[in-house]
Amino acid sequence: MTILQKVKNFVRSRSIHVAYVDVGSCNGCDIEVLACLSPRYDIEQYGIFVHNNPREADILLVIGAYTPGWEEKLRGLWEKIPPPKAAIAIGNCPISGCLFARPHTLVDPPVAKHIPIAAQVPGCPPRPTEILSAILSVAPTIFADYEVKTK
Amino acid sequence: MALSLVAYIREFARVEWAKKFLAARTAPLVIPPYFRNYPELTGKTCTHHLFCMMACPAPGAIDVIRTPEGWQPRIHVGHCIRCGLCVEACPNGVLSSGRILESMFLDNTRLSFSFAITVDLDRCMGCGNCAVACPVNKLIDAQMSHGGRASTDDLLLKVSDGKCHVLHVEKCTGCKTCEHHCPNEAISVARLLEAVHSPEEEPWTS
Ligand code: SF4
Ligand code: SF4
Ligand code: SF4
Ligand code: SF4
Repeated sequence: MTILQKVKNFVRSRSIHVAYVDVGSCNGCDIEVLACLSPRYDIEQYGIFVHNNPREADILLVIGAYTPGWEEKLRGLWEKIPPPKAAIAIGNCPISGCLFARPHTLVDPPVAKHIPIAAQVPGCPPRPTEILSAILSVAPTIFADYEVKTK
Repeated sequence: MALSLVAYIREFARVEWAKKFLAARTAPLVIPPYFRNYPELTGKTCTHHLFCMMACPAPGAIDVIRTPEGWQPRIHVGHCIRCGLCVEACPNGVLSSGRILESMFLDNTRLSFSFAITVDLDRCMGCGNCAVACPVNKLIDAQMSHGGRASTDDLLLKVSDGKCHVLHVEKCTGCKTCEHHCPNEAISVARLLEAVHSPEEEPWTS
């Protein structure tokens, strides 16, 4: 591995830009993502920066059980993110539909049907700690040696 | 003058301060021991009463399965919302999560179950699927005919005059089999859970 690649890996693991999208949640998980920004958890001390702009993001946090309104939008949003990229499902909703996965509801979980999901953080809602450690463990592994892998 | 300047710089350029400034960290991220996490098995014997499954509000979160060691509840991560109701509902203390069992012991509480069945008479067409499917009805009258009509009034559900009637709601075990078998979504079962004080009993001990 070249020194340049090593530097890139280090920088990528310390500078993770995050966008989040709510595809139909109860807002519980949104609040927990918000709590990651608070001084108690302070997401920026780990080098994670919440941009909420897909064009600049590395990680997409997907929240919610996928309502019909997202049919054409989520895929497009995912394609706007430049590679290397990864999507993380936050909460039970994108994994199983949580409490909304009942007959005759409009939700269409899991979100993995619609865009590739790299990691799942179960919980209703998950603790900010769990969200943070998921981002911190997924991002460096996926982004490491990106140029080598895609050659 | 120069001396005071040196003292001034020494005061404000302390190594600990610089370290704190450059590498500030909040307390390490740990999950506190009292956190109500996914319920875990305590090792006590499950008697297959299925109270956990009845109390659980999340679809597909808990199953009781047969293992070589006997019945055992299984929690499905990704479905479970960590509400802890299954822990409270179990009469044998098979599951534990956070401090739920301790506080139930201190407060001497337990969950009591009751069920409310509503039949939407405008939608019910009197097919009797619900009454035939109901496992409680099966125990009372194994010979019930396919239309849900029967001679005895001890039944839980019964079809008469072309509509389904709830005769003994107190016999209901909340399995929701009737709900799943109704072709018209006419019947619905609501589970009512109440935490009650139980001064004389200690139901969570085995
Ligand atoms: S997982 Fe639970 S808290 Fe999160 S959005 Fe779904 S229902 Fe709300
Ligand atoms: S903690 Fe709640 S959601 Fe999870 S299995 Fe128990 S009753 Fe169901
Ligand atoms: S929910 Fe009650 S009435 Fe319905 S099938 Fe089960 S025991 Fe019978
Ligand atoms: S409640 Fe449903 S299943 Fe029962 S008799 Fe009426 S239509 Fe049939």
